Amino acid sequence: MLDLLAQTGLNAVYAASYISLVAVGLVLIFGVMGVINFAHGELFMAGAYAIVALYAGLNVPFFLAVAAGLLFVGCLGLLMEKALFRPLKDNPLGGLVASIGFLMILQALAVMGFGVRMVHIPPVTQEVIAFSEKVRLPVARLYVIIAAIVLLSALWYFLKRTKFGWALRASAQDPEAAALQGISITQTARIAMFIGAGLAGIAGALTAPLVSVNPHMGHSVIVTAFIVIIVGGVGSLEGAIVASVAYALVHTFVTTFWDGVLADIVGLSLMLLVLIVKPTGLFGSADRA
Amino acid sequence: MLLEMKNIAVNYGKINAIRNISVAVPEGKIVTIIGGNGAGKTTTLRAMSGMLPITAGEITFEGKRIDHLPAHKVVANGIAHVPEGRRIFPDMTVEENLRTGAFLRKDKEAIEADLEDVFKRFPRLRERRTQMAKTMSGGEQQMLAIGRALMSKPRLLLMDEPSMGLAPVIVEEIAQIVEEINANGLSVVLVEQNAELALELADYAYVLETGNAAMEGPADELHGNEHVRAAYLGL
Ligand SMILES: Nc1ncnc2c1ncn2[C@@H]1O[C@H](COP(=O)(O)OP(=O)(O)OP(=O)(O)O)[C@@H](O)[C@H]1O
Ligand SMILES: [Mg+2]
Repeated sequence: MLDLLAQTGLNAVYAASYISLVAVGLVLIFGVMGVINFAHGELFMAGAYAIVALYAGLNVPFFLAVAAGLLFVGCLGLLMEKALFRPLKDNPLGGLVASIGFLMILQALAVMGFGVRMVHIPPVTQEVIAFSEKVRLPVARLYVIIAAIVLLSALWYFLKRTKFGWALRASAQDPEAAALQGISITQTARIAMFIGAGLAGIAGALTAPLVSVNPHMGHSVIVTAFIVIIVGGVGSLEGAIVASVAYALVHTFVTTFWDGVLADIVGLSLMLLVLIVKPTGLFGSADRA
Repeated sequence: MLLEMKNIAVNYGKINAIRNISVAVPEGKIVTIIGGNGAGKTTTLRAMSGMLPITAGEITFEGKRIDHLPAHKVVANGIAHVPEGRRIFPDMTVEENLRTGAFLRKDKEAIEADLEDVFKRFPRLRERRTQMAKTMSGGEQQMLAIGRALMSKPRLLLMDEPSMGLAPVIVEEIAQIVEEINANGLSVVLVEQNAELALELADYAYVLETGNAAMEGPADELHGNEHVRAAYLGL
């Protein structure tokens, strides 16, 4: 029994790790840009296909391919900022609709480039850490957990301790007031898009050998993403990040210990609770709504 | 002139918010813009700091055209704006708010010295250094907004209704601070509905009425003016 608990716990930590990376990127983009990026799941997918192309296709060493995936998807984020979100800044629904269009383009490109079938990716490592006979952690999963801890800690440090991190938080809390301090909102938007997209990309890249890579793999992210934005959209970026990591943990624990349907119910209940207790959760801090 | 605004117009869509407004700010002086609700005071100030595009006229600061610059570049030129409603960053600490005011500066030691100055001027802010800004009282938030603006080391300070919503004692305190920082050489543009306070502090005053320049003159002269007394001082 204890073994089962420990094993399920490990699975949950792994799942929460990559979901957190995706969710945190999404709330970062929402916080700074004020748009819900519907294409976020497809950025995750794009990261996975970077591994398909580079690691499985061209035999590029795995971690080099992961780094390339991060950069590539980060640049997709920059492209979205420049081509979609900036021109549509004054249109409240514009960014959202454009991101849905971008989602479809990315999916179509994946289908055209790689087909609709699931792609097989050779395992990165077969090594397994065995805590006991029944409690085992594949090293490939450990990579994802380590990446999540390192990247999220780094992001935390960036937001709390560096000047550009403050600029990002200031832009999320009050873009006009931030501009009055000399902060270029375009620049903070770019930083947020690069980091947010890059985190989704690296999550997709690292998990690619562990999941079934297909053009529709981003879909499952959307529901989670929505809930995270609503639960997390409480004004401060750090608050949103804590909320999204907490949500990812709760959701994946419930999924692994019970099942996914119950996890969604618990997630939605949490969301309702947030909306009842703090209605401004819906669209960030009160003065922004 | 430190700042010169000539024949400015600003539109919100088709609505003409201000027309043909000219304001001149001499070095080292306090200039005030008074007027009732919706007269166009905030619009004028936001045009100065690049927050709103102008549709006519020109603005020069220290002889340089600044009317085409976006807000974040105007700050770089030495103009700090304490916006209406304070607009501090609610989920940042007092110290983070202040340091964000120095975002464009690279002179690390001078920043520390200026932070110390702000803390000396506003001891409450030092006490609350690590507190989230949103948990502070209205008066403290106004002080934080002023402190944040000072952290950019400006040569001109724009203030939009610093007395709004504050108790008389706090208003008095803020007024004293405005006088002090002006005495230290900082030029100020003060927008106020509280005309009594504004005319007392300022050297020169402009009166706006529904988007138009209604009157201007030395502050003490306007204080004695019949129309101003009746319309704005309730005398
Ligand atoms: N964002 C906006 N969109 C449309 N019209 C606006 C906007 N902001 C202000 N206005 C209009 O422009 C005019 C001037 O407004 P402004 O805010 O400059 O007045 P004010 O003198 O600062 O008033 P108050 O003392 O109430 O702050 C008003 O008629 C106002 O309704
Ligand atoms: Mg106003």
